[in-house]
Amino acid sequence: MRWRRRIRSWGPAVLLISPSLVALAIFVYGFIGWNVRVSFTSWRGLRPTYDFVGWQNYRNLMHDERFRLDVRNLLVFTVAFIVGSLLLGLFMALLLDKGVRGEGFFRTVYLLPMAISFIATAIIWRWLLDNGTGESTAGINKVLANLGLGFLRSDWHKSTSKLAIAAVALPAGWALAGYVMSLFLAGLRGVPEELREAARVDGANEPRVYWHVVRPMLLPVFMSGLVILTHISLKTFDLLFAIAPGDLRVDTPALYIYHTVFRGGFYARGATIATLLLLTVALVIVPYIWYSVRSERKR
Amino acid sequence: MTDTNSLQEAPAASGGRQPVGIRLEGVTKRFRGGVVAADAIDLEVRPGEFMALVGPSGCGKSTVLRLIAGLEEATDGRIYIGDREVTYRLPQERDVAMVFQSYALYPRMSVRRNLGFGLRMRRTRRDERDRRVHEVADILGLEHLLDRRPSALSGGQRQRVAMGRAIVREPQAFLMDEPLSNLDAKLRVSMRSQLSLLHQRLGTTTVYVTHDQVEAMTLGQRVAVLRDGVLQQCDTPQRLFHEPVNLFVAAFIGSPSMNFVKATVEGGTVRFADVRVPLPKGSPLASADRRVILGVRPTGFSAGTGNGRPEITLRPEIVEELGDERYVIFDIDAPRVDTDATRAAVDAETADDALLVPDERARITVRLPGDVPVSIGEPLTLSIAPDKLYFFDPETGSAL
Amino acid sequence: MSTVGTPAPPAPAPAAGVAAPDQRRQRRPRGRRSQVLTFARYLALFALACFFLMPVYALLLTALKDPGQVSVVRMWELPDRFSLASFRAVWPELKDGFVNSTTMAVPASIISSLLGAANGFVLSKWRFPGADFVFPLILFGMFIPYQAVLIPMFYSLSRAGLTHDLRGLILAHIIYGLPITTLIFRSYFAGISDELIEAAKVDGAGMLRTFFFVALPIAPPAFAVALIWQFTSAWNDFLFGVLLAQRTEDWPITVALNNIAGGQTVPFNEAMASALLACVPTVVVYILLGRFFMRGLMAGALKG
Repeated sequence: MRWRRRIRSWGPAVLLISPSLVALAIFVYGFIGWNVRVSFTSWRGLRPTYDFVGWQNYRNLMHDERFRLDVRNLLVFTVAFIVGSLLLGLFMALLLDKGVRGEGFFRTVYLLPMAISFIATAIIWRWLLDNGTGESTAGINKVLANLGLGFLRSDWHKSTSKLAIAAVALPAGWALAGYVMSLFLAGLRGVPEELREAARVDGANEPRVYWHVVRPMLLPVFMSGLVILTHISLKTFDLLFAIAPGDLRVDTPALYIYHTVFRGGFYARGATIATLLLLTVALVIVPYIWYSVRSERKR
Repeated sequence: MTDTNSLQEAPAASGGRQPVGIRLEGVTKRFRGGVVAADAIDLEVRPGEFMALVGPSGCGKSTVLRLIAGLEEATDGRIYIGDREVTYRLPQERDVAMVFQSYALYPRMSVRRNLGFGLRMRRTRRDERDRRVHEVADILGLEHLLDRRPSALSGGQRQRVAMGRAIVREPQAFLMDEPLSNLDAKLRVSMRSQLSLLHQRLGTTTVYVTHDQVEAMTLGQRVAVLRDGVLQQCDTPQRLFHEPVNLFVAAFIGSPSMNFVKATVEGGTVRFADVRVPLPKGSPLASADRRVILGVRPTGFSAGTGNGRPEITLRPEIVEELGDERYVIFDIDAPRVDTDATRAAVDAETADDALLVPDERARITVRLPGDVPVSIGEPLTLSIAPDKLYFFDPETGSAL
Repeated sequence: MSTVGTPAPPAPAPAAGVAAPDQRRQRRPRGRRSQVLTFARYLALFALACFFLMPVYALLLTALKDPGQVSVVRMWELPDRFSLASFRAVWPELKDGFVNSTTMAVPASIISSLLGAANGFVLSKWRFPGADFVFPLILFGMFIPYQAVLIPMFYSLSRAGLTHDLRGLILAHIIYGLPITTLIFRSYFAGISDELIEAAKVDGAGMLRTFFFVALPIAPPAFAVALIWQFTSAWNDFLFGVLLAQRTEDWPITVALNNIAGGQTVPFNEAMASALLACVPTVVVYILLGRFFMRGLMAGALKG
């Protein structure tokens, strides 16, 4: 009897959610498993091959020149992107925290890039990051020159430096700094005004209030932002794909997968890179999910 | 304020249904993590009775209500509504109506649709539904609000809609979970009498949960006192007041609460501080020789002296003036009674939670009529009525 | 608001975009120092606004210029006269893309929002054993790099013949949109009181009826968030589009855009004009409906 009641109680609920669960079980977990399986094969070309070659693909990858370049690029890009976005986002949030006239206008402008697809962003910024010289200076370089900051001129992502990809952190940061700003703004405004007032009454000036009272309470927001940005950075494809098509200077594992599978037919290799990418993302995301679900339960 | 004069003269809407009783047999609710919210509760609500469930926070009263409603599943025991066993029935199937503390009105529905929702779910016909909704709206003074949304109503109006939603369904029982707690004090008092009137008119069996013992005592035909999931006593308000079955009930019921002091009984007298009170004739403790906890209500003292009753002289420390009566508070040279039971009765968690400035001596509150001259520090002599004394075992807390 | 080809998670953090300016207005004494600081602050805000709008400015200018006037070097110069020639040139190639993207994004966002609403409701309000276990599993789906499922997805959908029209693409967007819509609705419904659902239960409503009569009527703010997010995400997606729409006539607008403007030798003005056109719907949605999105966020969508 007890079980009849229980089933009648939550049976309908389980039924309602099951199509989604089934779909996700297949499309997320099933496919991930399939992908891992492929990474253990030697599939090359249009016809799938499901043999088993053990860790060979992974080993080959370690020695693959392009892959190593990609990983290096990805690291550079990630660091530049995260640092830039966090700093800029935090700065904008601090500017807006106390409330300004036209806050709505500013927020709309700062968040506007989030409505634009990365392809369009890439196309626009490709021209902005033009690296012409002298008479053919254009884009940002030209603005800098006109502002008297000509010494800041750069070849951006077409430079010969190994850090060339860091230039792409500029459009990426442009696109996401607004989002980081919202995160920090919500965090800043989540600090009860009473805490700040108590500090002021105790004699602290504004910078001190920020440092001692507000900053410690920003940690969760900061971690949240860090995790999200990292995982976005690892996944970035559209932007890099369109900003300098085929250019190895901005190649990353995510792009390599696309090129090697859909232009080269090296399915197994692509699956291998994808698995590694997934593991890296999981490393960051799983603790984050676990932590946020657990802290929600405590509430 | 129209809110308080809402109940009009109107015939009962009960439609002639016979009231049914509710029975809980050995009902236990154990939550995951081991918390026992209800412990082997045996409770019987007679048909048509208004039963109040009262106790400090966390005592399980809301849990018991939710068990009756079916919102919680009983770990053990059986629940009967009328003749039907409903232990394993879902709330939808139990034909009870519930009034929540927060009212839980459906925000996007008009008052009319809020009232009619339960009937719609039971597939009552449209015309019958409308008739009943109008009838109830009439009784509760809501006719002019029928097309408004809950957000456009005042607190008192919302409360009435919550009640109306329950009434319109003509259920076998009303279950109310602190429905008056969100109203402010004066409104609460007037709504109390309205609730009483409503119950008289409708005659539906009602179970009413509250943490306020005054509310429980004034509204309930019988009151069930709970503590930590265990039913302490279930009796009429009179008997709870005059014949508490243990220390907790004695401390919980009555405001201001009963005074307690540690005393000894020997040779037919009870002794505490420097007071000796002979036990009344026929007292079960007449031949006892033991320590006890003595309880006296603030009304157990009187100002008249020299009438043969034992007397006590004291120096008032605090006098609280209330117009035609006053509370005189003083300390006596006897140890303060501080047990789990007395602490639980006032929702205190630790020994000094209830005191702003901790003290070791027992503190007595006496209620006197306003015309007795009292001043702080001046000695005052009062007499004690021996038949208004209560005795409790210091270990178990049960009445002797 | 997707800018990555895949939905950029809005982050289960305190509601992004909290607006609380009024209680923050400080009444500080108008000292000289504070005036200077305020001025500096506005200056910084405006400078940043310029930074954020600069690409938009370049975009607009180039797209509206006479093709003859266009050159990368003269990007920043105002046009002598306004011309729609660039638009006219690229429109024929983008037209299909528009239709395709709309056909794909609208149903996908509606369906995944509806399913997300059901899921979110069940997970937050109608407990069943394992609900707390299932939710993180769903959530993880939002964060995976799509490259990790790319090969199987491409392979299975093309074998099933779903890549010869838009069906495969729509299906992919619906399914991979489920985690985020579920998150949105779950956070939102978690914010409404349990007693409301209990009242419906006692009133006699089962799960489905509670969902339709009690939960859905109060869900519009969450729908605003979910629909806008999903629409933007689907419209702006590129990766799925390039893989799951095999025929040229099925290409969503991002793919068409990349095709026009992605080459190395491409007329600069056409590239800019097509980028502008491709952005119009999402930017319009953002500007016109953005406040509903904000309101939804503040009402509790995405707080978990």
